[in-house]
Amino acid sequence: MQLDLGVTTGMQLTEILGLSELAENVNIKNVWVGDDITGAHEVFSVTTSILLKNKDMNVGIGITSPLIRNISTIARASTTLAQIAGDKRFRLGLGIGGLQELNKLGITLRNPVSMLREASILLHRIWNRETVTFESGHFKLSHYRSAVRVGYPIPVFLGIRGPRLLTLAGEIADGAILSGPKTYLKKAVSMVRNSIAKSGRSEKDFAFVAWLPTMVTQKPSDIRLVKQIAAYVLSDTPQNVVDMAELDSVRVETLKKTYQRRGIASAANLINEALLDEVAVCGDVRQICEGFQAFRKMRFQEVVFGPPYGAKPRAALSAVADAWGDYL
Amino acid sequence: MKFGLGINTDETTFEIVQKCILAERLGVDYVWVSDAPVHLFAPAVVAAVAENTRKIRIGVGLMSAFLHSPRQIVHSLVTLIETYGERFELCVGPGDRNMLKSVGVSARHPAGIKHFFEDTRRQMRTLLGKQGIDFRLWLGAQGPIMLETAGFYDGVMLNYAHPDHIKWAIERIKPIRPRGFQFGIYAPSYVYSEFDPEIHRLLRISSAVVALGASDAVLKRLDLSGLVAESKRKFSEGAPLRAVVDGVPTKAMDLFSISKSTGELGSYLAELSLLGVQHVVFSYPQNHDETTIQDLAAALKGWARHKSR
Repeated sequence: MQLDLGVTTGMQLTEILGLSELAENVNIKNVWVGDDITGAHEVFSVTTSILLKNKDMNVGIGITSPLIRNISTIARASTTLAQIAGDKRFRLGLGIGGLQELNKLGITLRNPVSMLREASILLHRIWNRETVTFESGHFKLSHYRSAVRVGYPIPVFLGIRGPRLLTLAGEIADGAILSGPKTYLKKAVSMVRNSIAKSGRSEKDFAFVAWLPTMVTQKPSDIRLVKQIAAYVLSDTPQNVVDMAELDSVRVETLKKTYQRRGIASAANLINEALLDEVAVCGDVRQICEGFQAFRKMRFQEVVFGPPYGAKPRAALSAVADAWGDYL
Repeated sequence: MKFGLGINTDETTFEIVQKCILAERLGVDYVWVSDAPVHLFAPAVVAAVAENTRKIRIGVGLMSAFLHSPRQIVHSLVTLIETYGERFELCVGPGDRNMLKSVGVSARHPAGIKHFFEDTRRQMRTLLGKQGIDFRLWLGAQGPIMLETAGFYDGVMLNYAHPDHIKWAIERIKPIRPRGFQFGIYAPSYVYSEFDPEIHRLLRISSAVVALGASDAVLKRLDLSGLVAESKRKFSEGAPLRAVVDGVPTKAMDLFSISKSTGELGSYLAELSLLGVQHVVFSYPQNHDETTIQDLAAALKGWARHKSR
């Protein structure tokens, strides 16, 4: 199982580029860039900069949403990045996007399964340079033909939650970026694997990536921060995932309401040890590595060391990458 | 006057970067990297150009504000500026109507196009203010309504090449422009030392594309409506460009494109300068190959020498 770096477009650019450079220096091969829809930077531009500055790393978008960009833009931006990357270094992650962020932008979600299925099909047709005419409730293209050639098949990962989307990933994607409670993740991997088998595909052609909030914690303020992140994650978690994770539904519902009414700090007070353990990987460096090891048992091929990292992100990344060598 | 080389994003990023490196070496002030729904994604290409050049200014656009949200456009520029420094300018506009239609995007807005572009500018300025970042914000304009709107921006890139129409457009903006406002033109161009009919044919096609994407109001004002209508209809219904381009009258070339020998360019630029034009962007096919870029650079150096005498 590979250790990856995760960054998001809401972070300071100096930190994104600094951590990516450091990751390359400590032999981390993959970076994933999460699209904070309301963050300060644009995901394709950030990914381009990382690719340009780190010539040996695979860089993926994990994830961006067709709800916020025209499908033709996602297709050609991916083509551009694949061209810049060369040597099969670019991977595209598609998903719905954070429910709260979409809400803030006034975007309503309708039938995400058909949306992601259509998005994936359209991307491949555009990349194959077909003349595409297509109309649905989600997308509209008319005699559209890309003028740009793609050098290699761009792997499409789905960043998804919930049974129907997990099944879809097994049917059409090259990989899945999964996040959420660990009990849920175990079941999610199993669902995707079943779907892969039912679709007559090989698991060898599919990659599972786990991305949970991770943090090297040393003092009480670190724990407070990671609890806040956990509260944010849970407040954005759909009920079907809460059920699959066998979490205390009442507590999670209370947490969601508290988050909406009184903010993240109050919601974080409702995160107990069990919830924290389910939705985050934290502790000292050894505990983090042990936590990651659990994903190997779940058949993940990649695990992401992502925000908030630790009080000193660079030191945390170095320490975890160094310790991870003992687990390979 | 400042001069730019327009870069089409229908080549590979490697080819584009090589041309921009050459433009920088030859002393061209700007490269402008266009964004179109069927080509490479301009902000990513611009990053590759910035990574491989040192000081040349880079214009991003025209970016269609109908295709990309103000937030996405601004965040792209913020990412570029934070990574590569303050070398960037941005031009927004409606974009090519036919291409927008092909990706399911309408170049209309319920509150009207003027309101839409005023609001776009406001949103961009608000977002930039939050980031503490500033750059010159151009509006790409051609028709009367867009020209009225241009005064809200830092400058206007006119999609005309003929001095009479440039004069007409500038006169419409002059009464409403703020201090420091810049006038520029962005036109398909062929400045040559030795005439190549094949590149001239590409110029004709580029001019036809501008005519086919022009609004009805613009075509009417230029007496092109009747002449272009049939080709425009066929093109918007999906007919390939090669099938309709011959139906666009050659008059479109005079109106929308620059076709000059290196010796002729100076008097044309002098005329534009008198009209108040401060920026000229020579777009496709001027970026066709090394020779066309070198010819342009040589002509511009000649013009600079002439001006300094």
